[in-house]
Amino acid sequence: MSRGFGFHRWMAAAGAGLMVLAACGGTSSSGGSVTFKGTKNIGLSIALTGQSALYGHAISQSMKLAADDINAKGGVNGYKVNADILDDATQVANAVNNIKSLILQDNVVAMLGNVTSAQCQATSPVAKQNKTLFIAATCNSYQLTTEPDLVNPYYISIVPNTFMEGTAAGQLAAKTGAQKIFIVSPKYLFGISETNAFVAELQKVAPNATIINNPSTWYVPFPTNPRWDSTINAIQAAKPDLVYSNIFAADEVNFITQALQVDPNFFQKYPMTTLASVDELNALGAKYPLGMHLYQRAPFFALSNPAMNAFVTHYHSVYGEYPSDWAVMDYDAMMMYAKAANAAGSFDPDKVRAQIVGHSFDSLRGYKFTIRAGDQQANVGETVGTTGDSGGKYPFPILVNSTNLKGDDILMPAVIMQQLQAGQCEKTPGTASTTDFSACPAWKTS
Amino acid sequence: MDPGKFLLFATGGLADAAYLFIVAAGLSLVFGALRVINMAHGSLYMIAALVSVVVANRLGAGIGFLPSLIAAVIVAAAIGAVIEVTVLKRVYGHEHLVQLLATYAIALIIGGAARLIFGPNYRTTTAPIQGSLTLLGYSYSVYALVMIVAAALIGVGMYAMLLRTRLGRNIRAAVSDPELLNASGVNVTFLYTTVFVIGAGLAGLGGVIVAPSQAVDPTIGDSVLVLAFAISVIGGLGSIIGSAVGALMVGEVISFGLITPATNSFALAFVFIVMTLVLTVRPWGLFGRAET
Repeated sequence: MSRGFGFHRWMAAAGAGLMVLAACGGTSSSGGSVTFKGTKNIGLSIALTGQSALYGHAISQSMKLAADDINAKGGVNGYKVNADILDDATQVANAVNNIKSLILQDNVVAMLGNVTSAQCQATSPVAKQNKTLFIAATCNSYQLTTEPDLVNPYYISIVPNTFMEGTAAGQLAAKTGAQKIFIVSPKYLFGISETNAFVAELQKVAPNATIINNPSTWYVPFPTNPRWDSTINAIQAAKPDLVYSNIFAADEVNFITQALQVDPNFFQKYPMTTLASVDELNALGAKYPLGMHLYQRAPFFALSNPAMNAFVTHYHSVYGEYPSDWAVMDYDAMMMYAKAANAAGSFDPDKVRAQIVGHSFDSLRGYKFTIRAGDQQANVGETVGTTGDSGGKYPFPILVNSTNLKGDDILMPAVIMQQLQAGQCEKTPGTASTTDFSACPAWKTS
Repeated sequence: MDPGKFLLFATGGLADAAYLFIVAAGLSLVFGALRVINMAHGSLYMIAALVSVVVANRLGAGIGFLPSLIAAVIVAAAIGAVIEVTVLKRVYGHEHLVQLLATYAIALIIGGAARLIFGPNYRTTTAPIQGSLTLLGYSYSVYALVMIVAAALIGVGMYAMLLRTRLGRNIRAAVSDPELLNASGVNVTFLYTTVFVIGAGLAGLGGVIVAPSQAVDPTIGDSVLVLAFAISVIGGLGSIIGSAVGALMVGEVISFGLITPATNSFALAFVFIVMTLVLTVRPWGLFGRAET
């Protein structure tokens, strides 16, 4: 008994000592023999609550894991990195306030991007104003890197953007041979941007296919009502060959759940091409319909390679969950920053940026990606396929017969990117959602 | 619009109205009798939905629904009792701002506790009644129709309780003249606890009924609270019929509004425009009574 009491007192004293060291913010150590000069914060304002909480949860876990892995290898420039995470409840105003707080109060050396494009549209200018590197691994509207009023030299995108995703989705839809297509999309920058890319690609690869619902009904308010009766009813009324959607997170889960209640064969009658991630598959589990035509950003089960497999094992052992696409990409974002800052030997954003743009980085996705100059977009790929049984390996369906489209094959042509940045493709200057690559002179003549 | 399509969208609106009515009726009842605006009402809805999903999945979809319903409503009602006894009793008679802040704090505590206990991930469960039926060429979810019928039965039951029982008479007395009720020998302390527990139970019932048709996580109470307030204000705080009419209006506005190109962007906003109009013209709501 007295031995136990002594042990606890010793632990309390040790704990107090560590707390004092941490509070001083000076030299501290972590993970055995690694000694750090101090701590540098990398910021993240993310949706831990609200519509996109499902994504924010995985992203925050992955960021912490990446920070631990970076620190276990000596940190960045001799400093320990800390994942400084604030909840924005999937709200734009909260994201802006959080970013200001992270930059001005917590002195972050870099930021990872928010979940939604609407948030990144609002937060990127704040990062630009404060010369803070902003690495987007989830929000992905191409306007964020091409719209003249939004272009930010400190904004790096390592997620396939909406042009790339819409192109991938258009090719996927064309493969199904569908002639009558119904569109449902969230009404904000991301949805409009990706749907435009989908329609443009579809017109190119399947010119006989028609969109059967009026463009004014393509979009649903975002975030929307949790009940999807009206959209489900409209699909039934229109009787399309294929539903194209880029609704996501809670919206996708609710839509699928309610559609299956209306008709257990709903997705056999009205097959669907939709954006998805491991998160939606996991949320619905065995209830996720088989035969859905999905396009995904980084599904671990379709991108098997030694680095990915080790990451999945590590992530699962720490959190008891399978990593979502977002977890994979944000881990890559952290690793890219660490490598670039180490190469720069500095945290100066201009020096780190110089080590990112034009350089190539390893990815958990099994290939190297390169950040091209101009829009600072990585040539990352998109995975397309059809949902099928995982054979008991996972508690959710996976993609069968999947194809990993190469980033270079779906990347926006440089000339279009330049015309977008020159403001030649805007209907209303200064309004990102009216910027459309298919209005560019180069697209019209292609 | 052909009759089949009209019926389709009207039924969609009714399904929306069904769960919103159950939740709003609880909120309205509590305000009418206790004069408390309960910001934690959505949290009780959320907790019940989470409990029901966990219990239903543990016992197996289908047979697990009834036990999950009972368990979830009991949990919501029990939490309601604790809130009323420990917090609300201390703020009755205070200005509404104090009550708002107190119940908002409770909502934050319940939200945080739910995240700790259930985790942040979405949970889903299967509807206890599967299948669909076809009318005029369109399919309908049997579960959505059951939701509509259940809401109607709950509405009738509540109306009967308020009109035909001693408890109902006391509640109506509390709504219309709390001072007189106090003087008439009724155990008002117990009555208030009972009313709050019924309100919490209704929030829980709403959560249980909606859980099989949507992703459930610790944040689902936020949006439903906003709509429930709008319904209560439109219908009149304290009026069950008002809640039913308000829910019907909101459900149909959303259903038809979202699918009509001209109103697609404004469907949800229109709910609040209606609320503002009602507040301007008849501040006590369509079926409420003006306070003297």
